[in-house]
Amino acid sequence: MNEHVFQLIQSKMRFLVRAIILVFLFYFMLPLSLIFIPDAMNQTSFIPGVTWAWVYGFLQIPMTWLVGWIYHIKAKRFDQQIEKIEREGMV
Amino acid sequence: MNLTYFLFFICIIVCTLIITYWAAKRSNTTNRFYTAAGSLTGFQNGMAIAGDFISAASFLGIVGMIAINGYDGFLYSIGFLVSYLVVLFLVAEPVHRLGKYSLGDVICSRFPSNKMRWIMAFGAFAISILYMIPQLVASGYLLRLLLDIDYSISVLVIGGLMTVYVVFGGMVATSWVQIVKTVVLMSGTFLLSLIVFSNFNWNISALIDRVKEGSPLGEDFFFPGHLFGNPLEFFSLQLALVLGTAGLPHILIRLFTVRNTIEVRRSLISSTWIIGLFYLMTLILGFGAIALLGYESLMATDPTGNLAAPLLAKEVGGDFLLAFVSAIAFTTIVAVVAGLVISATTAFSHDIFHHILKKGQSTDKEQLKAARWTALGIGLISTLFALRLETINVTFLVSMTFIVAAASNFPVLILTIYWKRFTQVGAITGMVSGLLASLVLVVLGPHIMNPDGGWIARESLISLHNPGIIAIPIGFLGAYIGTILSSKQAQREEEFKQFFIKSQTGITSRRESP
Repeated sequence: MNEHVFQLIQSKMRFLVRAIILVFLFYFMLPLSLIFIPDAMNQTSFIPGVTWAWVYGFLQIPMTWLVGWIYHIKAKRFDQQIEKIEREGMV
Repeated sequence: MNLTYFLFFICIIVCTLIITYWAAKRSNTTNRFYTAAGSLTGFQNGMAIAGDFISAASFLGIVGMIAINGYDGFLYSIGFLVSYLVVLFLVAEPVHRLGKYSLGDVICSRFPSNKMRWIMAFGAFAISILYMIPQLVASGYLLRLLLDIDYSISVLVIGGLMTVYVVFGGMVATSWVQIVKTVVLMSGTFLLSLIVFSNFNWNISALIDRVKEGSPLGEDFFFPGHLFGNPLEFFSLQLALVLGTAGLPHILIRLFTVRNTIEVRRSLISSTWIIGLFYLMTLILGFGAIALLGYESLMATDPTGNLAAPLLAKEVGGDFLLAFVSAIAFTTIVAVVAGLVISATTAFSHDIFHHILKKGQSTDKEQLKAARWTALGIGLISTLFALRLETINVTFLVSMTFIVAAASNFPVLILTIYWKRFTQVGAITGMVSGLLASLVLVVLGPHIMNPDGGWIARESLISLHNPGIIAIPIGFLGAYIGTILSSKQAQREEEFKQFFIKSQTGITSRRESP
C-alpha cells in the first residue's frame, strides 16, 4: 500500500483530532462554566452591558464558521495532494 | 380563514407542486430518485440541509423559548449549530465516499451482510418515523391555532403533500422544496427582524430595556438558569444535541446528493452559515416578542410559547405579516417531513427490498417502483398515526430522536470508519444497545413516567428528561464489548487499511468523479 497516501491521511487525522478536541473544549466549556462558575459568567464583560455568558455564547457562532473555513482550506490542499499522487500513478 | 391566508397557502402549495411536477420528469432512475443523481451544487445542498434541519420546533420553538426563558433558549440553538462541525470533521466525507444511497451502504461497505443491513435499515427507519410523527402532530396543532383549520384536515394536507412530493419527485423534489423553504424562511425572518428593530428606532439598548420591562424575569432574563435547573440535565442535552446530528439519517443521506467531497464540504459550510445566521435572527425575534407583546399576552394565547413568532408578526405587521409567517411555518413543516419520508423510504426500499429481499438483483425499474410504493405507504401510515395521536403528548419524541441518533448511529458510524479492531458483532451490539438504552431510559424518565399527566402515572425512575449522557456511553460501550467478544472476526490489518484509505481519499472508489 502506498506510503505517501497513508502519511497524508495521518497528517490530516492529526489536524482533525486536534481540531475536534479544540471545538469540544470550546463548546463544552460553555455549559460547564455556566454550571460551575455562574457568578463569573454573569459579570459584565469588556462590552458594556453584555455579560461573559452572552459573549461566550455568541462566540460559538463565529467559531463554527472559522473552524469550518480553516478545515475547508486544509482539506482542499489535502485533496490536491492526493490527486497529484493519483495522477503520477504512485498508487 | 381569510383571503390573505388562503392566497399565501395556495401560492405555496401550487409552487411546491410545480416543483414536484418538474422533478417527476427528472426522477426516472433509481439514482435520481434517491440522490438527485448527485446533481446539486454544494451551496444548493447547504440550503437543502438547512431546510431539512430547521424544523418548526426550531423556528417557532426557539423563538418562544428565548422569549420565555431568555438566555437558556439561545443555548439550545448553539448546540444545534456546533453539531455540524462534528458532521463535517468526522463523518461527512467518509459517508459520501463509502455509501451510495443509505447509511446501510456505508456500514455494509466494511461489514457486508444482511444482518448488518437489517439493523441499519431498522435504525434509519425508526429514527425517521419517530421524528416524523411529532412533526405531523405539531403541524396539526399549529395550523389549528394559526388558521383555525381542523386538526385532521391540517394533518391530512401536510401528510398528503409530503407523500406527493416524495412519491412523484423523489429526492429532486424534496431538495428543491427544502431549498425554497430555506429562502422563504431566511428572507421572512430577516424581514421580521428588521421590522422589530425599526420599532425600537434601530436602538439595541431600547430593545433590551423593553425586554426587561416585558419579562417577569426582569434583569434576570439575560442571565442563565431559567430553563435548565439541573446541571446534569443541561449537560446531557448539550451532549445529545452536539452528537445527534452526526447520526441523523435524513441529514446524512443529503451528502449523497452532491458529486464530490469538495461539494460535501461546501454543503456543510454553507449550512452552518445559514443556520448560524438564522439562530441570530431568532434571538432578535425572541427579544422582540417579549418586548412588544409582554409575558402575559404570550402566555394567554399559548403557554408553550410556540406562537411567539406569529404573534409578534401580527403585532408589528398586522394580518398580512401574520399570514406570511404562518405560510413560512407551513413550508418549514412540509420541507422537514418530506426529508423524513425520503429517508425512511430509502431505508426500506433500497436496504430491505433491493438488498435483502431481492439480494441486490432487482432492476432499476423494479427498484424505482418499489421506492414509490414505499414512499406512498410510509406517507399514509405516518399520516394515519398522526391523526390517531391528536390527544396524546408526543413532543418527547423530538428530543428522543437526537438521543437515539447520538447513541446508536453515531457510535457505529464513527467506530466503523476509524476503529481498526471494530467488528460486525460490535456494530450490531452497538446499534442495539444504543437503541434499547435510549428507549428504556426515555420510558423510565419523566416524559413517560409522570404523576402529572404522564403515560405511566407514577414517579419516574430516572430524573433526566434527556438521558443522552447515559444512553450515548451505553451505545459506545455496547459496541466495544461486542467487538472484544468477537475479536477473532477482526479484519486483517491490510484489509482495514484499504477500507480506511478509500474512506479518507476515495481511492478505489468508483463513485467519486473528478
